[in-house]
Amino acid sequence: MKKDFLKILPAVFLGALLMAGCEKRIVTEDIAGGAQQKNDAAIAGAEVVPEAGVSAEGVTSEDIKGTTDARLGGSYASLTPGGDTLTAKAMEKGHLYTIYFDYDNYTVRDTDMDNLTKNAKWLGINPAIKVRIEGHADERGETDYNLALGDKRARSILKYLQDMGIKVDRMDVVSYGEEKPAIEGHDEATWSQNRRAEFVIIAN
Amino acid sequence: MKKILLAIILFFPVFLPDAWAKVYIDLAAPAFRKLPIGVPEFKDLGAPAQGPAEKAEREAIKKNLLDAAITDLRFSGFFSVIDRAAYLEDPNTSGITAAETNFRNWRAIGADGVLKGGFIAEGDRLTVELRFFDTATERQVIGKRLVGSTKNPRRIVHYFSDSLYEELTGTRGVFTTKILFVSGSGGNKEIYVSDYDGKNAMKLTRNRSINLAPQWSPDGRKALYVSYKKGTPAMYLLDLTNGKDEPLSSRPGINIAGRFSPDGGKVALTLTGERSPELMLLDLATKVYSQLTDNHGIDVSPAWSPDGTKLAYVSDSAGNPQIHVLDLLTKKSKRITFSGKYNSSPSWSPDGKLIALSRSDSGKFNIWVVRPDGDGLSQLTFEGNNRNPSWSPDSRNIVYSSTAGGAASLKIIRADGGEVMRLNTGIGGELAPAWSPYLK
Repeated sequence: MKKDFLKILPAVFLGALLMAGCEKRIVTEDIAGGAQQKNDAAIAGAEVVPEAGVSAEGVTSEDIKGTTDARLGGSYASLTPGGDTLTAKAMEKGHLYTIYFDYDNYTVRDTDMDNLTKNAKWLGINPAIKVRIEGHADERGETDYNLALGDKRARSILKYLQDMGIKVDRMDVVSYGEEKPAIEGHDEATWSQNRRAEFVIIAN
Repeated sequence: MKKILLAIILFFPVFLPDAWAKVYIDLAAPAFRKLPIGVPEFKDLGAPAQGPAEKAEREAIKKNLLDAAITDLRFSGFFSVIDRAAYLEDPNTSGITAAETNFRNWRAIGADGVLKGGFIAEGDRLTVELRFFDTATERQVIGKRLVGSTKNPRRIVHYFSDSLYEELTGTRGVFTTKILFVSGSGGNKEIYVSDYDGKNAMKLTRNRSINLAPQWSPDGRKALYVSYKKGTPAMYLLDLTNGKDEPLSSRPGINIAGRFSPDGGKVALTLTGERSPELMLLDLATKVYSQLTDNHGIDVSPAWSPDGTKLAYVSDSAGNPQIHVLDLLTKKSKRITFSGKYNSSPSWSPDGKLIALSRSDSGKFNIWVVRPDGDGLSQLTFEGNNRNPSWSPDSRNIVYSSTAGGAASLKIIRADGGEVMRLNTGIGGELAPAWSPYLK
């Protein structure tokens, strides 16, 4: 069912990154003031200066094999109000609503509790379904804090669903912090759509 | 006493005659007038270039050397570089030594100093000679001949600038340091490294997932970073000397906000805890985690004090994100920010005196500094949206990411609130800078 969409890339090391003590060096020497100094003077006895840690030649690359890439690994089942991100599979079976949050907050709002309850019911009548709950933050604030906030949001949803009877082994959690906004923009209308927990079906 | 005159220009305290011998510029002085200096074009001292390709290469080297020299001199904060159009000296009849310099021409345009440079490019080998003169005494302050690679002319100048800065101030320069940063300009956020001035930017990761929050190991040989390359935010360690990349922390949930302890033996980070994201300490030798915080709130972004005994971090235990300082010996935590709705991204200065942070009152973030005891809160930036401060190893400057007018870029500001230098890496959309330790 699931596909690995990311291809394996060959590791390409374009050159070793040179560090202090390695062979690539800048040689330097003090030169006296005045005109006596010839430009082609010998460099004998010059101080030897190592090339910088990460010098211009080196670039690293790495292999990756996406196993759970968020957008590609599973089919999206989230339905934003008025939106159209429902996948065909989820359309057949029902809805999983995206849950929204207030700024810098991770408790489910009363207005979203209805949708969260619907999600729990739907998961209850589809026991084979496994979901990933993705926690997101809006662009404001710091990257680290927003990652923690996304984690906290997703886990608070998980806790609610668990309390509503959904087995915890059917749910996975990942935080994207501010890295994957639902919509681009820099105003409250945008931010309110980006502070969310989305549901992704990862097995059925 | 060849250094006396510049010292007088800088009104160095006359009752400290011993200091004159070593130091021109007192870094602790509250303010000083910038010294106007001349920086003429570098002279090609080699055999005439053969053919257009070699000519173009020589021109590029010349341009890079001059640009690096002017960038470094300006960045030092001590000098203003006089516009080249004002120069009286004829480059064809003058040279780069004191004897070949008519200092009257420089004094006439108000230059207190002049930096002269020449180079010889032979194959890959680039020899650069640099001399800094005091135009009042007509004496050379410092002269160096340096040999490096034609592939990286700027580095040779940066190396000289380190020496010049040390000669003038008694403190090591940071011109050969580097900056790690994140850019999503290629579609995915990847980790990059550049020189301190943003030049020579180079991509370090190419995994096409999301890569975040790079940090240097204290020896400058490794970078830790957060990556989604295996689906969830885990921490990795990239050896910058050989490109080897290894997982550092991949516990379930988030593995974020890692910072090396000053001795390099531990990493403080945030993991998903029982109840909430908590601060943890990972011992790199034993791979054992120990938990530092345990509460219902978010605890994130640990920043080590330089003596390794304390961590400044962000906690929302008071309702919104505020900076706290955890004493690792007593295990006691103390809140140090009380104003501002959102205080985050603490970065402890290498000299231990200040903690830089980004703070928001109304949605826009700015860089502030505060003393570790919570006193002396002071705002450094005022425009745009400014985040992720990181100190230079000499504690004199702070690099941060700034979005003024939408596009993110890196900027450097003096820690005492001086001028701002915008870094042009050529990459665009730069975020989350981390300034390296001294690399030599």
